[in-house]
Amino acid sequence: MAVTAKALPHAHAQEEHEDPREHLMLDPRPRGEMNAMAMEAMLSTNWKFWLVIVILAATVAYCLFYEWGVLIFEGQGVAGVTRPDYWGVFLVDVVFWIGISHAGTFISALLRVLKVEARRPFTRAAELMTTFGLVQAGISVFLHLGRVWLTYWMIPLPNQRGLWPDFHSPLMWDFMAITTYLLCSTMYLYMPLIPDLAMARDRSTGWRKLLYRVMALGFRGNEFQWKHLTTAMNIFAFAIIPVMFSVHTIVSWDFAMASRPGWSSTVFGPYFVIGALHSGIAAVLLVLFLIRSTMKHMDYFLRLEHFDFLGKLSLVISMIWAYFYFNDYIVPWYGGGTIEKTLLDFLARGPASPLWYAMLFCNIVVPWAILWNKNWRRKPWLLALVGIAVNIGMYLERYIIIPVTVTITRDPFTWRLYHPAIEIPITIGMFALFLLLYMLASRIIPLIPVWEVEEGQAAHSLRKLGKTEVVSLSELE
Amino acid sequence: MSEKISRRDFLKIAGTGAAAATVLTGCGPASRYVTREPYAKMPEYTMNGQSTYYATTCRECAAGCGLVVRTMQGRALKTEGNKYNPVNLGKTCARGQATLDGLYNPDRVTGPVKKSGKGSQDFTANATWDAAVQVVTDALTKNKPAEVAFLLGLAPDHLFDLVSDLCTALGAPAPLRYGALSLFEARATLGEAARAVFGKPDLLFFDLAGADVTFSFGANFLETWISPVAYTRGFANMRRGNPNKRGYLVQFEPRMSQTAAKADEWIPIVPGTEGMVAAALGSLISEAKFGVASAAFSNANVAKASQLSGVPLATFDHLAKLFLGAAHALAIPGGAALGQTNGLENGKAILTLNALAGNLGQPGGVFFTPASPLGDEYHRPANAKELGDLIGQMKSGSIKVLFIHGVNPVFEIPQALGFAPALSKVPTVISFSSFQDETAVLSDYVFPDHTGLESFGYQRVPTGSGQSMLSGAQPVVAPVFDTKATADVLLAAVAKAGGSLASTLPSKHEVEYIQNKLGSLLTAKDGFYAASEIESFWVQFQQFGGWWKNTPELGTPTASLDTPLTVSQPEYAGDGDFYLFPFVSPVLGEAGANKPWLQEIPDPTTTVTWSTWVEINPKTADALGLDNDDVVLITSPAGSVEVSVYKYPAIRPDTIAIPFGRGHTAYGRYAVQGQGVNPADLFNSQVNPAGDLAFGAMKVTITKTGKQRQLARLEGILGVYGYATPAK
Amino acid sequence: MSHAHEHAHEHQDATPKALSATGKWGMVIDQDLCTGCQACVAACAMENNLSFIGEDDVAYGRSMQWIRIERYWQGEYPKVSMTDYQPMMCQQCGNAPCEPVCPVYASVHSASEDLNVQVYNRCIGTRYCANNCPYQVREFNWRDWPLPEPMSNRLNPDVTVRQRGVMEKCTFCIQRIHTGENTAAAANRDVLDGEVVPACAQACPANAITFGRIDDPTTQVAQLAQDSRGYHQLEEMNTLPRVTYLKGGSKHGSNG
Repeated sequence: MAVTAKALPHAHAQEEHEDPREHLMLDPRPRGEMNAMAMEAMLSTNWKFWLVIVILAATVAYCLFYEWGVLIFEGQGVAGVTRPDYWGVFLVDVVFWIGISHAGTFISALLRVLKVEARRPFTRAAELMTTFGLVQAGISVFLHLGRVWLTYWMIPLPNQRGLWPDFHSPLMWDFMAITTYLLCSTMYLYMPLIPDLAMARDRSTGWRKLLYRVMALGFRGNEFQWKHLTTAMNIFAFAIIPVMFSVHTIVSWDFAMASRPGWSSTVFGPYFVIGALHSGIAAVLLVLFLIRSTMKHMDYFLRLEHFDFLGKLSLVISMIWAYFYFNDYIVPWYGGGTIEKTLLDFLARGPASPLWYAMLFCNIVVPWAILWNKNWRRKPWLLALVGIAVNIGMYLERYIIIPVTVTITRDPFTWRLYHPAIEIPITIGMFALFLLLYMLASRIIPLIPVWEVEEGQAAHSLRKLGKTEVVSLSELE
Repeated sequence: MSEKISRRDFLKIAGTGAAAATVLTGCGPASRYVTREPYAKMPEYTMNGQSTYYATTCRECAAGCGLVVRTMQGRALKTEGNKYNPVNLGKTCARGQATLDGLYNPDRVTGPVKKSGKGSQDFTANATWDAAVQVVTDALTKNKPAEVAFLLGLAPDHLFDLVSDLCTALGAPAPLRYGALSLFEARATLGEAARAVFGKPDLLFFDLAGADVTFSFGANFLETWISPVAYTRGFANMRRGNPNKRGYLVQFEPRMSQTAAKADEWIPIVPGTEGMVAAALGSLISEAKFGVASAAFSNANVAKASQLSGVPLATFDHLAKLFLGAAHALAIPGGAALGQTNGLENGKAILTLNALAGNLGQPGGVFFTPASPLGDEYHRPANAKELGDLIGQMKSGSIKVLFIHGVNPVFEIPQALGFAPALSKVPTVISFSSFQDETAVLSDYVFPDHTGLESFGYQRVPTGSGQSMLSGAQPVVAPVFDTKATADVLLAAVAKAGGSLASTLPSKHEVEYIQNKLGSLLTAKDGFYAASEIESFWVQFQQFGGWWKNTPELGTPTASLDTPLTVSQPEYAGDGDFYLFPFVSPVLGEAGANKPWLQEIPDPTTTVTWSTWVEINPKTADALGLDNDDVVLITSPAGSVEVSVYKYPAIRPDTIAIPFGRGHTAYGRYAVQGQGVNPADLFNSQVNPAGDLAFGAMKVTITKTGKQRQLARLEGILGVYGYATPAK
Repeated sequence: MSHAHEHAHEHQDATPKALSATGKWGMVIDQDLCTGCQACVAACAMENNLSFIGEDDVAYGRSMQWIRIERYWQGEYPKVSMTDYQPMMCQQCGNAPCEPVCPVYASVHSASEDLNVQVYNRCIGTRYCANNCPYQVREFNWRDWPLPEPMSNRLNPDVTVRQRGVMEKCTFCIQRIHTGENTAAAANRDVLDGEVVPACAQACPANAITFGRIDDPTTQVAQLAQDSRGYHQLEEMNTLPRVTYLKGGSKHGSNG
């Protein structure tokens, strides 16, 4: 490893009274100790943990699986969809969960490529959100179908009838994109996980040892394996970034390619991607807060600086989001199209307008009011609340884009409000499933990529330049 | 099983097989045994996959429109209009289209029922037709003739003729016929007005097609009025039939009906002032035309008419000019104008406008509908007074047996007349209803007739045809259930009774009776077809769905303008603030509530389905603090109903309107679904001088109940009415 | 005849998107004549085995009518009037927005009839087509609505009964078009003008609906479509609808 020392520009800007060891990167522990902490966090459960698991499992069983069964046997009529609101909460869930899943990729891939050090301890926690978020998104797609048992007709397999699916349809692009994203992000979750699985294999007994032995694929940590693994991860990191941008763009094209007023907008592509990041980062804030508060040793790995960093990131993204949202409104308003102006008026003055105002409050006012303040950014519980608010706001945003906007058609005789019905318990069930999977995963695989943390810690050091201590970072190959 | 079968066993097996091929059925006089045939050998005129079409007459109302019904393998699939029938010329209304929901209704009476008592809702078929015929025989013979009464519907005519003959032979009073439509159309008043102005109480025909300017006083001819399919055709020809002109329609009505919505001008008048307005117009027009107002309109006071009706004086001038300037002007009196205390005077004034226009017997004018080829007078439906007389007799116990067919009087006669309580005083009530309706519930016996599509018959037409005609009916399918033609039941009872009765009515069954009646047509001239004997005639009668002449024979009325007319002010019952304007649901008609597709089809003006509503002017509603879907209590001197509010933009602020057709307590699962109320519960029993119920002369109060019940509209209320109001 | 042959050849070579602006089967609706009586609605329901759904579902907007009569209000009492009654059904667009968005080819354009065809047995119920229809004329089977006996006797055997989860819409009574074409082919001739009549046009007492071969200038429907009162709904969307509406007459008795 060639070592070039570089003084970091922000080093002097640090508060003089801060102890450098507050930074994770400057507070190394022996590698064995960090691994032991990660293992202990994974292995320890208490009665509160299992109580929550049981409650979540029961919620999933009833709210998701049983109600889904009702939905399939009774038909979409038990949901709140109707003319003209053909798509409702299930589609909102699809977009929402894909949005959540973007955070993981952003953090583990984009921040890795950009060499942002702050990402190191929570890449896996975020990447897990991606995987489980995509599971929910996939379920949501199936939920809204009228004849879900025939979904396989969307798979382009050679068949007896000689029928292909229609690739003109944005739904097919969705299908291809989400499948690709799910596969790629699962692999990209798996690869950095291998060294940690190997570590866990070496430190466990019983069924865990067997499980990890299988999953670690024989990783021994020698130079040859590390080199190949790093190459693979780098390739994937670069490759998955365009996938991330394209997936949500393609999902946005479900709407942008339609002729509905309020949907047929060219700004939807980037707007949805930014929206996904907005809700994703906010969700990461919430999840990290929960992890830090409930799991052992996580306060060592997840520090105030990380929350500070994510808070700044969230603020920037909320500004970008506000810019795109403004664009999405000012342009049609200026254009003066009758139906577009009717739609804007409906959002501002119609029966759903409280939702619209709540969305603007949660997505713009809340982050802008709180995240500018450095002290406040270092309060995890406050950032968790901001995360909840932004997620509510972004859920409302999708709710407004889908069932509220769709009320306004070019034929006023058909305008009707949407009222969700079975969507409510099923959505609750999906949230419960997400949490359930996440909680189970946190006890099956190590949540912290210790090797990545250690890698960063190795590269960071404090150097004395004259009287001051400066943080320097080695460039890693 | 052994290889060897003994000879005895073989015969046993073979014999069982043969016996299984024949199946005993109990229904129908013709075949007691039905043999199973392979699919390759279908009944005559039926080929696998091919449809067979039968011409018949629609029985959903009494207009007599001809139908051609597509059947396949014994199932009726679709009704279309009979293009040969002069009334409808191949077209149908929504009720004719949905009549299959009646034929195949799950709540039909499936066989003869001896009820466990009046009020029992159990319609399990528990009697045989032989026993049923015996009950009818006993009813006819064991009671004095004066104690036997028949209450029939406006259709079918052949049964009315048979019952008339039966009553004559028996010495019993002639049958009354009634339907809710006849009440809402105030048929008796129309007839008396025609008698007063034109000399004969015959049914009139108004030639819309040729009219340049039509003043319709509450005649909803695009909806249910007398012959809506024929009048819709007339309206269409009025608009676009002549490339050089487009007829102009003015509708005088307190509420914008479907007909008023198609008019060029809607004049929102106070209910009951139609005659005063017509007379005032008559005086203005005749003054402009002759220099001095005609004697007929000499009593008219334009200022008073304007004040009482709410029509501005400037509008009077404009309308007078319009009528005067038209080469072909026409004035039509509708039920809303006639069902008033001053309804007869209203009718006379309106009809006299036609005399003023000089359109009698002219294109675009008024005609007499030709008499039916059977040569008899028009058999007017009973008016409220005549019904009241019958009900009085029932109450006093002078009626020992009442036969009811083709009408649901417990629902269709307003409760104020007291039919249902009087029914309980009649010892034997025999209903021939095909459906489990309210009257059948209160009957002692239900001997279900076939529905219209399973029946033979003929029907005179009230109007709509220029030619004298008889519309014919035949079964398009075999009876779905164990029902029996009422005519057959009566004739069988007559045969069983024997004696002079049987000799006066010798026909053994319905077809024979009809054929006897049609016998006079064999020698009729100018027929659409002719035959020398009845069997050939009968075949063509079935094939074409009736018989009519080739040449129109519309009669020319005559009238004079010399006799001064008086039109008194309308009188109203009740002291509420609001005029009640009831109207027949254009989609359901009087009896459509048991047909699910009719219930689901939206009302043309409000788009509401499945339930009843009350139309209130939006400003009035706001002033009362009422919003859409609020349930209000409407009270009249006769009763009250709870009904949801519909803020209706096109109704007078002092008037509310409620549609008639729902509010059933029986009549099948589809009729009792939804929130239906019957506005006839609000009518009192006041009649006008012609004997018709003054149903348009009620004033009612509106009370909030605090409850809400959403109306099922097809329209998106947000889009049609805006979302500034709280949305539902 | 050669012109028709060329025309047919054009259709066979044409990609699904390169369609004529006029179409082959077309409809004209005269709004001056339509009285809003709903006979067409009833006729269509009986002909095409439509399900009735009950009050609660109708209240929520799920009515299955393939043709519906729309109307609005103008002005305020006493100067209030109703707009023309507007029968709205599938416009069988030449450039149908519902076609490219179906992922499984359940909403396709038929080359032989130049109609938009909904393939019931292929539909998996994504409802994208209904979302994309600017006229909102597609109906979705939100539930199964089984008919109590003996009502199923009246079902038309020429038309499928749809399952829950399947989209449906007006087909211009394609079963009648096929019957008419088969009858004509069996008699070795072309279809005559007026021989093929959809259920709505057949029932309409005001003769407001005219139907026929709109690519043949001699037919009644083609001539009516050229009327000066004619217009297309949402013309700016460039959907190339096959239904021409004739504006209702003026309030002063004049023509046009």
